[in-house]
Amino acid sequence: MGSLCIIPAFEEEATIGRVVAGALKHCGAVLVIDDNSQDQTAAVSRQAGATVIGHVLRLGTGAALSTGFRAALKTDSEIFLTMDGDGQHDPDQIPNLTDLILRDEADVVVGSRLLSPPAGMPLGKRIGNRILSATTSLAAGTQITDSQSGFRAYRREVLEYAIHQARDYRWASEILILAAKGNFRIREIPVAAVYLPQRVRGTSIKDGLKILYSTVMR
Amino acid sequence: MEPYAIAAAIFGATMLILTTLELRRRRIRPLQYLFWMALWLALILVGTVPQFYSALLFATEALGMYTPIHFVTTFSILILFTLVYLLGKRIADLDEKISLIVQHVALRDATTETKNPKKEK
Repeated sequence: MGSLCIIPAFEEEATIGRVVAGALKHCGAVLVIDDNSQDQTAAVSRQAGATVIGHVLRLGTGAALSTGFRAALKTDSEIFLTMDGDGQHDPDQIPNLTDLILRDEADVVVGSRLLSPPAGMPLGKRIGNRILSATTSLAAGTQITDSQSGFRAYRREVLEYAIHQARDYRWASEILILAAKGNFRIREIPVAAVYLPQRVRGTSIKDGLKILYSTVMR
Repeated sequence: MEPYAIAAAIFGATMLILTTLELRRRRIRPLQYLFWMALWLALILVGTVPQFYSALLFATEALGMYTPIHFVTTFSILILFTLVYLLGKRIADLDEKISLIVQHVALRDATTETKNPKKEK
């Protein structure tokens, strides 16, 4: 069963090479969706061995992933992984995610940063994540502890069934709710995440409120 | 004619000319042009034809408003809210279309690149 790793990236030249190289140890191929970076993200990704698809305008993480999923479905891979390009996720944990799908115990596997003590996750993000995860769990009808994690594995059938519409961070909750409504099995495994102090990107309070609103309105 | 009426009429006439030019340049649609033309003509008429002002006065009293300015400002605000809503909707639609185009181009280029692989420099 071939696996393909999809990495949405925006100005990640400092970390993307290491992430791609790490992912290639465990996946058949790596697809980087460059969301109109103005730095060397695309070149560094190619040098590291990834196939790069570029947006001519910046659309957001959700849109980059949606482009990646559409491209991935044109391949013959059966498992699709997603991870962040900022080095937050450890590529050596990829087998832990894919194993559950290979053993036919899950259709979607989420790497949860909150199943074990979330070392390093800023308090504000932890509280926001708990609220969004609780809301997403209610909407999906299944317990999800880290609905905002970008470190995931999907069985091909899940993405053939539905791809999220959201272009921003709302994608994370939306696709879980869609998968749950399609009766796909969602499982979580604990993963460690590295938070680099100089990197301040991620879900902001405004993003959080938008996710909350769109989840409640579903 | 009061000075404010002259100012209103001049402003209305200028905007009418500009709007007509925009229509000729095909920058606005005929329906939009009709809407703006009606608005500018009303402004010119209020300034130049006293009977039109009397009609406005009648409409003001009929609607229970104190002065014509209440009538004009109330309806102007309602029209502006409607325009803001319609513009917001149109921007959202365009935003959606732009995203679809960007994604389509990205996927098309990816397919082309796979079919005709270029050597990295």
